[in-house]
Amino acid sequence: MASKAQRTPTGLKIAANLFVVVWLILAAFPFLWTFWGSFKVELDFFSIADWTNALTGKNTEATYGRPFTGAGYHGAWVQEEFWRAVINTFIVCFFVVLTSLTIGTLGGYALSRSGFRYTFWLLIIALIFRAMPPITLVAGYLLPFFEWNLWGILPTTIIVLVAINQPFTLWMLHSFFQNIPKELDESAKVDGCTQFQAFRHVIVPVMWPGVITTGLFSFLLAYNDFAVTSMLLSESNRTMVPEIAAFLGTTYTEGNVMFAVAAVVSATAPLFVLVMFFQRQIVSGLTAGAVKG
Amino acid sequence: MAEIRLSGVSKRWGSFIGVDKFDLTIPDREFLVLLGPSGCGKTTTMRMIAGLEDPTEGEILIDGKVVNDLEPKDRDVAMVFQSYALYPNMNVYENIRFPLRVRGSDPATHKEKVMRASAMVELDDFLHRKPAELSGGQRQRVALARAIVREPNVFLMDEPLSNLDAKLRVSTRAQIKNLSHELAVTTIYVTHDQIEAMTLADRVVVMEKGVVQQVGSPTEIYDRPANTFVASFIGNPAMNLMKGEVAGGTFRAPHTEIAGLSIGDGPVTLGFRAEDAEVAGEGGQITAPIYTLELLGDATMVSVRIGGALVSAKADKSFRAEIGDMVSIRIPAQICHLFDAETGARIGD
Ligand SMILES: Nc1ncnc2c1ncn2[C@@H]1O[C@H](COP(=O)(O)OP(=O)(O)O)[C@@H](O)[C@H]1O
Ligand SMILES: [Mg+2]
Repeated sequence: MASKAQRTPTGLKIAANLFVVVWLILAAFPFLWTFWGSFKVELDFFSIADWTNALTGKNTEATYGRPFTGAGYHGAWVQEEFWRAVINTFIVCFFVVLTSLTIGTLGGYALSRSGFRYTFWLLIIALIFRAMPPITLVAGYLLPFFEWNLWGILPTTIIVLVAINQPFTLWMLHSFFQNIPKELDESAKVDGCTQFQAFRHVIVPVMWPGVITTGLFSFLLAYNDFAVTSMLLSESNRTMVPEIAAFLGTTYTEGNVMFAVAAVVSATAPLFVLVMFFQRQIVSGLTAGAVKG
Repeated sequence: MAEIRLSGVSKRWGSFIGVDKFDLTIPDREFLVLLGPSGCGKTTTMRMIAGLEDPTEGEILIDGKVVNDLEPKDRDVAMVFQSYALYPNMNVYENIRFPLRVRGSDPATHKEKVMRASAMVELDDFLHRKPAELSGGQRQRVALARAIVREPNVFLMDEPLSNLDAKLRVSTRAQIKNLSHELAVTTIYVTHDQIEAMTLADRVVVMEKGVVQQVGSPTEIYDRPANTFVASFIGNPAMNLMKGEVAGGTFRAPHTEIAGLSIGDGPVTLGFRAEDAEVAGEGGQITAPIYTLELLGDATMVSVRIGGALVSAKADKSFRAEIGDMVSIRIPAQICHLFDAETGARIGD
């Protein structure tokens, strides 16, 4: 039996549900619109004459005999070899996440367990660097990268993204670690662990949701980055986001814009899968203060 | 089998002194209790023995070997933390097994050892639960089991009962006493509760502000406190202390005259225990109006005010009087303890 305080008036319940539905539609609309439109031709999706063409696919039907077409996907994936950008993106993301998590986990742990006062200043400096717009850093990188012949390749971009990412990972993991009582490490050490074993056997398992959450955030940072990747990668090494931007830049050939639309849908889909897959860890990571000694 | 020796061990943080020149030898199999008010350096002392804190000065020896530079894992000590520090991701069985696992002992023996340890603390039914699913008392016993499972040389316990409710504390105390008798391992036990100290200890170390005040058996500490701090810390109620003057072997304070003391003239602090004194109709050494009366069940506590201090004596449980009535308390010279008025140190024996 629900207590009086828990019982919600029916009117309020309806209003709340209505709000959620409206919000959901609003939030999902751009995705749904793009997804729907990606199977049309440019003249429909970007129709000047009648916007409902994007829904009905009048011109698509005229061209291909069906209201839907995979032409955009074919153009992007086969003709323009978008799969290269996908592979590049995953290489970049994988190494960015791996490096920044490794350094962040070890560094965050060390900082959280260090009694020295400089840890505070290290973290403040990290925050300042995190606050800078990445593009201001990239401008400084460009010249030396050209001179040393490092421009245009993936490893350079990975290093720069790690550098931009690292302060955030360090902060986030540091605060996760601080929520884990020191006595846990100490107990492990008395029980027979070295400092590193204590970290591996006791702290990391407790920390796992925090590591996953942080890893996901730094994955998204690398995945979505435009400023760094567009400035530092040569045409053949582009990742997805600058590649999509490049499709959009070639509007003089009719249809190329649809490559961009199809590529956008292709780039968004994995994110849904990823978040669904890790949602339990993310939720428990975001409430990681609940760790008890 | 381990004898622990602390030789001039100090711990300072900047100019703050946590522990000051601690000297002590703890023979093999002794149950030693570190007793003192909160913040007096008990935990710090224990952590230095465990290797979790580096002493600023001095040496720590286990079985004659200096262990200052040894990691905690190499000292063969086991510790029960005040917060228990159970591993939240492991169930009870894995928690207890953890020391065996990381020390790489033969996995075939693990089950038997864990079962033996968990049986000792009556945890057999909870082996598959996570720490979050246990009550405070059960968590405490997991911490105990984890400490005893690998039969360490030295057993360290930091206020293991302080998070338990009063009833559970008494039964767990009895369990710890029994356990320590069975295991016969050198044990250092930290507490701020003098009753725990009295009931468990072979020897008690009373500390205050990082300084050792007295080392002795519970009876010695109770019967012959080394200074006014120990006197006022041990016993329930604590020892009565009165400031006064001695002239010609007679102590004088307001309402008070105690003759027959063998001590030179001058100011002293005189102490006696409530249960040693006797409440009489008249003819006692203190005659004063009753300040308060407390019924304890088995006795009645009668208090009077002498100078600024409250002085209590235990009367028979049938004793009846009103607040403000005159009462006489008999304090023969034999039950009196004398302390230096300045330093608080004990005078004579
Ligand atoms: N890491 C530290 N830095 C500075 N002071 C400390 C530190 N650890 C403990 N202290 C201080 O040392 C004193 C003794 O602490 P502790 O040994 O924990 O006392 P307790 O007898 O209550 O166990 C306390 O006043 C405490 O504030
Ligand atoms: Mg303490």
